[in-house]
Amino acid sequence: MKGSNIKPADPRRRSDGQMLKGAGFALLSVSIGLAFAVSLLLGPSGIGIPDLESVSGKAIFSLRLGRFFMGMMVGASLSASGTVFQALLRNPLAEPYVLGVSGGAGLGAALSILVGGWLPGLLGLPLTAFLFALLTLAAVYTIAGQGKGGPPSVYSLILSGVIISAICSSLIMFLVSTATIEGLHTVIWWMLGNLQPASPSQQIVSLVLIAVALAGLQFLSAALNVLTLGREIAHYQGLNADRIIGTALFLATLLAATAVSMGGMIGFVGLVVPHVMRALYGPDHRGLIPASAIGGGVFLVLCDALARVLIAPLEIPVGVITALAGGPFFLFILRRKMNDAWIA
Amino acid sequence: MQTDAIAFRSVSAGYRKRPVLQDVSFTVPEGEFVCLIGPNGSGKSTLLKTAAGLLRPSHGMVRVFGYDISALKPRLRASLIGVVPQKIDSPMAFTVRQIVMNGRGRARRSWGVPSQEDDDIAERVMIYTNVLELQDRLFNELSAGEQQRAALAMALAQEPRIIMLDEAISHLDINHRQEVLRILMKINREKRLTVLLVSHDLNLSSQIADRLLLMQGGTIVRQGSPDEVMQDRLLSTVYDCDLQVRKDPLTGSPVVTGMLEGSVRKQAVRSRLHVVSGGGTGIELFRRLSIEGYDVSAGVLNQLDSDADAARALGIGCVLEQPFSAIGPAAIGQAAEMVSQADGVVFSRVPFGSGNLVNLDLALEALKKGKPVWIAAGIEERDYTSGREAVSRVRLLESQGAKAWSSMHDLLPEIARKCRRMT
Repeated sequence: MKGSNIKPADPRRRSDGQMLKGAGFALLSVSIGLAFAVSLLLGPSGIGIPDLESVSGKAIFSLRLGRFFMGMMVGASLSASGTVFQALLRNPLAEPYVLGVSGGAGLGAALSILVGGWLPGLLGLPLTAFLFALLTLAAVYTIAGQGKGGPPSVYSLILSGVIISAICSSLIMFLVSTATIEGLHTVIWWMLGNLQPASPSQQIVSLVLIAVALAGLQFLSAALNVLTLGREIAHYQGLNADRIIGTALFLATLLAATAVSMGGMIGFVGLVVPHVMRALYGPDHRGLIPASAIGGGVFLVLCDALARVLIAPLEIPVGVITALAGGPFFLFILRRKMNDAWIA
Repeated sequence: MQTDAIAFRSVSAGYRKRPVLQDVSFTVPEGEFVCLIGPNGSGKSTLLKTAAGLLRPSHGMVRVFGYDISALKPRLRASLIGVVPQKIDSPMAFTVRQIVMNGRGRARRSWGVPSQEDDDIAERVMIYTNVLELQDRLFNELSAGEQQRAALAMALAQEPRIIMLDEAISHLDINHRQEVLRILMKINREKRLTVLLVSHDLNLSSQIADRLLLMQGGTIVRQGSPDEVMQDRLLSTVYDCDLQVRKDPLTGSPVVTGMLEGSVRKQAVRSRLHVVSGGGTGIELFRRLSIEGYDVSAGVLNQLDSDADAARALGIGCVLEQPFSAIGPAAIGQAAEMVSQADGVVFSRVPFGSGNLVNLDLALEALKKGKPVWIAAGIEERDYTSGREAVSRVRLLESQGAKAWSSMHDLLPEIARKCRRMT
């Protein structure tokens, strides 16, 4: 993109760019297929398609299929959510965890696991997680907005987000310390992050929530482009900036909370995958949001496959693998491409 | 009846706890080219933000083509008004073309590609503003002037009926500034585009504008044709410095020049002034007198007084008394010594109490030796002595020749006249 600055305008250039992006999406689609294959072929019980004739083979197959869908949903949610937070806060360090959203969702989920459901089973965990995430976001906004008339500044938002996050993790630790042995194992595993398939009903509810949120964010994607220029420009460009920011924050929170309620505290995906996709794809959110979603899903599925086979038959929590495996790879990409994504 | 493009009706606006605009009323008919001028902090940008609906008036009403701006739908508002702000920051790596396309609201649909018409309009405004060659460069890597041209292109791409520019041509070099202005004037003439330009360049403004709005302290102090607004006395008062207006022999439009060179030359022979102040009331005097080239001394001040800090920072000789104590005979003796070496004495708007009343004796000292003394007007409001002693002393001093002063703008020429004659 940068190299072409001296060349005179070339009318073909734009269609080239579009073709490039088309090719990018084809590549992403292929990567889904690849992730699907890897996910089905790898597992603690051995490499290869399990024998579908046997009962155990069938069970293994459906288990692996479930892991694939869990990985795609959680990874896509975290990554798309991070992309939107970074755009709204105009800050490369923003992610679902920064505004305390994940912390709040985590607290809600821990309460739901340890204290028990106050709502009928299938909705208990995701709804509690989402409610707590929203409460946290509201608290962060209120605290950050204190003392000034207008909307809170990015810096005060991030600062109060970090504070609220810390409070949430203290509360989670308190809950963990008072938990029974059985509850303890569940909640620790959940906190480390793993993609044990949730109940089918919870998966369906989550899928609907994720689909709604992604579609809503896609609808707002062009407005997000303008918002990266700041609230003032967005106003001049005929956007109701405050309403769009509010809606997008709500949807990104919904994504993050759903992901946390399904897969626990999985770090790294929401922060780094958006950067890599932005570096590869460019900052236009109309394509970046779907690209991030796919990229995050594929990345998490691959990490999960690794998590299952590395020290089989034992399983490593996928939250451990994401940063360990992804870190070096993404560092390599970002070192070369960071300037194509952010100029700060 | 023709509706005005912009109409302010007794508008007050600003930020919480800091109102800026006070009771501003004016109208701009469609197709007019208006320049908004005034010193820093006079409220020009605030007025522009209020006109664009970004700030809501706390009182009064802003109408744009008859619509109440705060009730206008955002999309309609953007089709009426385009704004080029002082600076745009694009932290993400958007290209110039992507930035300009933002101006085409319809092209911002989240699905599908922009129409041929949107592409053509973006292309046209980029040609107008000479950024077509930059279209694939990253916006944030451009120079300030190039960014301003791209920002103008984005606003023009909205095809608005009013365009507002907030100091948006300040970073342009002279040839691009002329070009941009020519484009604005062309669209202004051909399509009746209404232009509201905030500018610090008085000469440029009077050359291009149909009408000037001159702001000071959150109000419009004069509006009219360049000839009506560009008056030495008016501008000198508003900008609080010596300005001369004459006709440009080529264009016939009024041209302003400051007196920078003249004032420095005048001070070839230095005179010394003694300032009596306290509690921060002397800082502005220190600043202005030092800039004008006078030697300044000050006192008697208490240590820890903000004037004492300012005097030390500016290297001004100063007689000091212990903090929070009444001024003693030793200090006042030293100050009298300083006064005897000075060519005049100026009293700031310092409040008087029993502790510093003795400073007024310095004025008597000076008057006795035939030196001019200026005392800030309004002593009644800052006399905290029992028995109104400061008031009666100042009255006595005034009967012996001390002058009252109320604005820096009047005081400085007065000092220059009196003290130059003496040296």
